Amino acid sequence: MALVYRLLLRTLVTRARLAALVAIGLVGVLIGLAIRAADGVSSAERTTAISRDLLGGYGLNLVVPVTALLFASAAFGDPTDDRTMVYLWLTPLARWRLVAAGWAAALTVAGPVAVVPVVLAAAVAGAEGRLVAAAAAGAALATAGYTALFLGLGLIVRRALAWGLTYVLIWELAVARISKGAARLSVSVYARSVLSEVGEVAKPLNAAAVPTSLLVLSLVVLAATAFTTWMLARADVA
Amino acid sequence: MTAAATVAAPAVTTIAVERVSKWLGPVVALSDVSFAIGPGVTALLGPNGAGKSTLLRILCGLTTPSQGTVRVLGANPRTDLALRRRVGLVPQQENLFEQLPALEIVTLSAGLHEVADRAEAARRALGLVALDPEDGRPVRTYSKGMRQRVKVAAAMVHNPEVVILDEPLEGLDPRQRLRMIELFVELGSQGRTVLVSSHVLDEVERFGSQVLVLGQGRLAASGDFRDIRDLMDERPHRLRLRASDARRLAAALMAGGTVVGTHLESEESVVVDTTFVSAFRRAVARAAAAEGVRLLEITPLDDDLDSVFRYLVGPGGRGPERPRRAGSPGPEPRPGSARSGGR
Repeated sequence: MALVYRLLLRTLVTRARLAALVAIGLVGVLIGLAIRAADGVSSAERTTAISRDLLGGYGLNLVVPVTALLFASAAFGDPTDDRTMVYLWLTPLARWRLVAAGWAAALTVAGPVAVVPVVLAAAVAGAEGRLVAAAAAGAALATAGYTALFLGLGLIVRRALAWGLTYVLIWELAVARISKGAARLSVSVYARSVLSEVGEVAKPLNAAAVPTSLLVLSLVVLAATAFTTWMLARADVA
Repeated sequence: MTAAATVAAPAVTTIAVERVSKWLGPVVALSDVSFAIGPGVTALLGPNGAGKSTLLRILCGLTTPSQGTVRVLGANPRTDLALRRRVGLVPQQENLFEQLPALEIVTLSAGLHEVADRAEAARRALGLVALDPEDGRPVRTYSKGMRQRVKVAAAMVHNPEVVILDEPLEGLDPRQRLRMIELFVELGSQGRTVLVSSHVLDEVERFGSQVLVLGQGRLAASGDFRDIRDLMDERPHRLRLRASDARRLAAALMAGGTVVGTHLESEESVVVDTTFVSAFRRAVARAAAAEGVRLLEITPLDDDLDSVFRYLVGPGGRGPERPRRAGSPGPEPRPGSARSGGR
């Protein structure tokens, strides 16, 4: 399993991907600087701007899902596209081990790439230590959840990026924000719940308690990886 | 060629395919294919699009048959993960892990198949295909032939009992081809089951092996290669003869009964039809000498593989093993062609 992990890790990190994500990360830092430099803003207003707009809006709603999507969908998507999947598929390793290796590889890359810019942006904006820690926790949990979700997407659809972005824009950013029922099925809502509770800032609509959020995000990871394992075992490999 | 060879059940069956069909949407990739093979080299011959790769993918478990059953070493290749330690595949696609050097790719393959001493096994496998383990260049810089050899090494690194190779000779120069064919024959003689697909008749002839001929998704013929070759020689042939006096030569051949039709293109060129190509080959030189005609060139006009397969599997064709109807018994082995699987 470690071998597959290392192999996928190597194939995931490309200059183009890293350059795109560094650019997105820099935007966050610039937003953070803008918040810090804003004149005539009270401390409460600044905290709200950091938690709601910078961390919730830019961080958990954009950087984290896009980063997770980019790497997780590529973990099995790239070998499927370039037809090297056959070499992975023919190993006697149990399919769940392949999926676990893929998830771990995607998380290894996506984790730092997603979390660091969010934390950096919060720090640059002048957030207090507690809020910065909350940002790190929320971003890390969201990355884990999204990575598991998008891992299978790369396996089952072509143009996983387009499908993933559609899901983020329609479900996470629109439907889950207006429907309480849909919010129960939103990774972003649980991550923002952790952010608000740990950071002691305003809660998002349909927020959940931290234990509930942790449980749900763990279940998301388990269910998504189980589904990917099931799909992988039934895949037609070219 | 109803009398053409059918592969008798081998003494030891390592690959058993029973009435396998595969549909890819509306396209029938394989239709009711059945055969059993044992250790030794078996060539899977067929033109492009005949269903060879689909069949090989089914044998490796990369896809499922729509109908029928497949057993490799007694196991289901789709579901039995342990079987993958005993099977090696050289896939048709060229892509490898492009940024890695050959040694690393083959070592990786050893690791994926849980080989104990990966590095040593990888070096040995690269040696088998005459590649330098110390060559640190990424395989993206390799020629097509070298990449093929890396793929073969990766498939052999775990010492599999069954080796399945999809067009492994493509892209190799004649010397490499010869070496690779020798390797396959050697692997077969070691008691491994080696199934090699090809669309090149002459390549297959050099395996000196059992042959499965696939055309239009059906098993068109199976048996010893010499029987298949005879069959191909017996089909109608069209050839162009260039000679100093084509008219005179054509008349002599017609009189001799070895051609069934002629079409004079010019005083130096005639197209002839013959159904006895081996007899024709002997007669044409004799006739030219007897008539004092200088024979300049003989060009087969329909010797491409597609025409051979059209003949074998086409309507009214003389395919030796027509697809059996559901419920019908399997073909009887041809007397004298029955062979045990081992060679």
